[in-house]
Amino acid sequence: MDHKIGVYIDTGYGIGEALDVEALCKLAKKEFKVAVCRAEPYWCDPEKLAIIRNDISTESLTAVVIAGPSRRVLEDKFTFEGAITERVNLREHVVWCQPPNHEDTQMLAEDYVRMGIIKASNYDDRAPFKEETVKSILVIGGGMTGMSAALGAAKAGYQVYLVEKEAELGGWARKFPKIFSGQPPYDQLAKPEIEGKIKEIKSHNRIKLFTSSRIYRIAGAPGMFEAIVRPDGPWIDDVNKRQNDWKREQAAKAARFAGDKDAGKGEEEEVGAWGVGEAEPLDFEHELLKVGAVVLAAGWRPDDPAQFESFGYGKYPDVITSVEMEELAAKGKITRPSNGAAVNSAAFIDCAEESVKNPFLYKSYVPSLVALKQARYLRESNPDGKAYLFYENMRTPGQYEKYYEGMQNDPGVFLSMGTVTGVSNTGSQLTVEVKDTLLGDQLKVKVDLVVLGTGMIPVTKDMAIVNLKYRQGPFLPENPYGFNDSHFICFPYETQRTGIYTAGCVRQPMDFKNAEIDGLGAALKAIQCAELVSEGKAVHPRAGDLSYPELFITRCTQCKRCTDECPFGMYDEKPDGTPLPNPTRCRRCGICMGSCPERIISFRDHSVAMIGNMIKGIHVPDEYEEKPRMVVFICENDAYPAVDMAGIKGHQYSPFVRFVPLRCLGNINLVWIADALSKGIDGVMLIGCVHGDDYQCHFVKGSELAQVRMSKISETLQRLVLEPERIEVHQLGIHEYDKLPKLINEFAEKISGFDPNPYKGF
Amino acid sequence: MATEFIAEPDLQFTKDLIKAGGADVKKCFQCATCSVACAIAPDNSPFPRKEMIWAQWGLKDRLMSDPDVWLCHQCNDCSTLCPRGAYPGDLLKAVRKMHIQNNSWPSFLGSLVGEPALFVLTLGIPVVIVLLLVYFSNGFNFSGPSPIDYGAFIPYIAIQIIYTLTLVFAVVSLLISLKRYWNSLGSNNVIEIRGHGRGFIPSFIEALKEILPHTTFKECAANNIRYAAHLLTFWGMIGLLVTTAIVAFNIDILHLKPPSQNGPGTVPIKILGNVSAIAFVVGLAIMVIRRLTVPDQAGRSSYFDWFFLFVICGTGLTGVLTQLIRWAGSVPGTYFLYMIHLMFVLTLLLYLPFSKFAHLGYRTVAIAWGKSYGRNMTVPTAPNYAPAHPSAEEPTEKG
Repeated sequence: MDHKIGVYIDTGYGIGEALDVEALCKLAKKEFKVAVCRAEPYWCDPEKLAIIRNDISTESLTAVVIAGPSRRVLEDKFTFEGAITERVNLREHVVWCQPPNHEDTQMLAEDYVRMGIIKASNYDDRAPFKEETVKSILVIGGGMTGMSAALGAAKAGYQVYLVEKEAELGGWARKFPKIFSGQPPYDQLAKPEIEGKIKEIKSHNRIKLFTSSRIYRIAGAPGMFEAIVRPDGPWIDDVNKRQNDWKREQAAKAARFAGDKDAGKGEEEEVGAWGVGEAEPLDFEHELLKVGAVVLAAGWRPDDPAQFESFGYGKYPDVITSVEMEELAAKGKITRPSNGAAVNSAAFIDCAEESVKNPFLYKSYVPSLVALKQARYLRESNPDGKAYLFYENMRTPGQYEKYYEGMQNDPGVFLSMGTVTGVSNTGSQLTVEVKDTLLGDQLKVKVDLVVLGTGMIPVTKDMAIVNLKYRQGPFLPENPYGFNDSHFICFPYETQRTGIYTAGCVRQPMDFKNAEIDGLGAALKAIQCAELVSEGKAVHPRAGDLSYPELFITRCTQCKRCTDECPFGMYDEKPDGTPLPNPTRCRRCGICMGSCPERIISFRDHSVAMIGNMIKGIHVPDEYEEKPRMVVFICENDAYPAVDMAGIKGHQYSPFVRFVPLRCLGNINLVWIADALSKGIDGVMLIGCVHGDDYQCHFVKGSELAQVRMSKISETLQRLVLEPERIEVHQLGIHEYDKLPKLINEFAEKISGFDPNPYKGF
Repeated sequence: MATEFIAEPDLQFTKDLIKAGGADVKKCFQCATCSVACAIAPDNSPFPRKEMIWAQWGLKDRLMSDPDVWLCHQCNDCSTLCPRGAYPGDLLKAVRKMHIQNNSWPSFLGSLVGEPALFVLTLGIPVVIVLLLVYFSNGFNFSGPSPIDYGAFIPYIAIQIIYTLTLVFAVVSLLISLKRYWNSLGSNNVIEIRGHGRGFIPSFIEALKEILPHTTFKECAANNIRYAAHLLTFWGMIGLLVTTAIVAFNIDILHLKPPSQNGPGTVPIKILGNVSAIAFVVGLAIMVIRRLTVPDQAGRSSYFDWFFLFVICGTGLTGVLTQLIRWAGSVPGTYFLYMIHLMFVLTLLLYLPFSKFAHLGYRTVAIAWGKSYGRNMTVPTAPNYAPAHPSAEEPTEKG
């Protein structure tokens, strides 16, 4: 569509003093024939904004380009009805990081103005995605977390479906005699308060409860999920087996792809996409629920104690797990399982994990609290009893420190760090051997009972639970530790499946009080999702974004890169192999746009052609001027703020770079590199978020994908007869702005060492 | 070498320690601020950190054979700096009390002196003895003779018999107690201090060299007014002892009449006695006042502390008051206070091995033991850390 553009150059912030603003105006008018171009200081001033609004109505502008401060500030001020806004960063990216009134500085500003105007003129006016959605919430799991989530959502006015696999609500809380009171002075235990919650749930008119039931399948997308609830039965084992087989084959396939030829040998079956093809008949008792969002609060199971054979588990009846200790305590007086005699002494061992690499994987602080709690059970059951606690770390965060202090003060509680090396049977008692204790490097104690604090495994470790009918599989993607992956630091409840929020111990080990709060948090996220989706908006991290990817499907070659690469499983697959988008699952990162070799995926305000044209719009001086040009693609989540920060701090760097912000570095399309190089740009750099196990990418694997794509670019370079060193990929944390000038200057130095790009002037 | 150790916590012992003044011992979380703060803790196995965990774990054997608690002079730096409010200084004091009580012979006297509920009985024994003595000497006649003649009020011979016997009993009892303690020190040397194996006598002499000028006490810079106070009391006490011994020697051996109670104060023996008494009382007064006004630095005082302070202050105070009231000219008052003074002196002597007074013996023995094993304040790492028999550790790989 043809836009009528108004350009507004801010002369405040030092821009007017450092640049020839008149020349910029002339350029906009001459090169782009913009309808209006004005230069004034501080366009964010209400009076100045009125001028823009007036221009929009009198000149019928459809696009406004504000050339001034970073687009990360004053976004609300520069939002106009009836016209789109594009921002050109003359402040942080030009005058604050370059010498004033210099020829190169002026050229830099001119290029950014060009790119801004080109971007604005390439905007496509498309309506946001709107479809009939529902706002009801499905809560999976009726333990403390699930009950809290269900009640929270219902009280907020949303229809809730609560699915519990057991016949009764309550989960572990029903089985444990006491939990932490959570009340000042925080040094007491209390009975778990679940009866009230259960009653409230059962009588709430907005909660529909399914007990002894499981999720058979969830299909669809946020706002339009279709969940099938089926009474519990042996069918679940078949479903799990099928899903786990699929998962194993997937892993084998990935390993084969990575070069391990023997992976998955013997399983010749071709691994297909999940959930593609005809749905099997629903010829069983079930209920179909339409839900807007899902809270997964399926909880945890204790780690298999068989791995602690060296501690005598399974060999001596008086060696039990912490869960068994709860059951023992629930019976009343604590007695020895072997002979029923009263327990006079017990050792509580915080067992090291199977995997030494991550000793606290399934632990967090919970086993410390549980050992302290169970020591209290013993001390209350037997006032002369002795409770020994051995641990690597005693972790009692927050107010739990008060409980720890209380237990520590009990003369019958003996605490020491230490590593338990073995448990043996000596006569009537068990001998626990501990090394590296506070009392010496080798210590033995004789006890009547040994309690092993085992880890809490998220139940999703070997079951999908949600049983998704997504092309990318039934599971929520996991991080390397077996928990649902999300962007843990910034978005704890999120999973890689939009609209499905994990809460409670399925997310990370936690105690009941925190699980209760966690359930509420996830319920709020689910509500937020249902609401935003109903308005056609993105959920997160680009919350409120009204754009969404559209596919020019007739040109699709069924290469399936978009369906494979989307970190959020947005695309399902049509029978003909073309992608089937589910826009409400989309996070608007543009990774699919970058992946598509046919360049058929575009957003209304962000497309392959738009970025390509911006690059082509850069003015490239001929080789005799000795002014090289470099394009730097930056992720707008971390790298862009880092560049802003460098400007704010006044760091100076090469004036020959042109930053092009992307939604995510995974948004990078190889064609842009070709565009740049064939235009005569001398070097291309990509700066994205840190990837790896502790990735910081907002879209999980965007920066990683960009790196992979760049590794395959040598072909393009060979075709152009250019040095592969002209392209660099870097990771930069949002806080590493101080490294940016060095990064850019070194690259500029390297590029100046090469001959100028021979395509200049073509 | 890995030392294996079977921990058998004594719950009752921990409870006793808590009662004896270590009320907050369980709060310790082993950060070692105390041992770092302590100016006089040795470099190897420093106190009081290890004592804290032993006490938490009720490890009676280890604590009862621990010499280090007596190296502490309770400057209380550890307690004021403790981030957890565990009062390590008070715990060490409680252990010291347990040492005195548990090694005491006969043991019932140890329990008697340590028990607040038995205060009246404890004090009653010497009081009754002195009352009987007064009764049989003069039938509670406080009015004569005048001018003052203590020998006429109570015959010197009676006093000498009773007090000498008491002193002999106290010394024998203390020696037996100390011998027990010394034996336990050798039997359970868990802190693995190995030194040059010096004999007792040279160690003892070296210990005295340290104790008499209070050199280590002076290192407790955080609280060195206490050092000064204790030094005054200590030497005042010795001065008074010497005075008493000379007077007794003159009367019994040389059969010299003591200088008249009512004569001039310029007699050398009187000057010594009075100066000593003033030093004694002033030193004690400083200690008591500090205990009452700055408990943070003086430590929290238990019954055990107050009992000893009561007796020793009573002794000093009644002694000085007797002289003052005599100068004032009140005959009955003088005799009455003299009687009270005798009661206090008898209490002090009788309970020497069972009250905090016994610290004079225990501290000397512990320091001497440390000297004999080469436990110094700052130890050069190599010689003292070397295992006793390095060859025994190396595997013999012959054949």
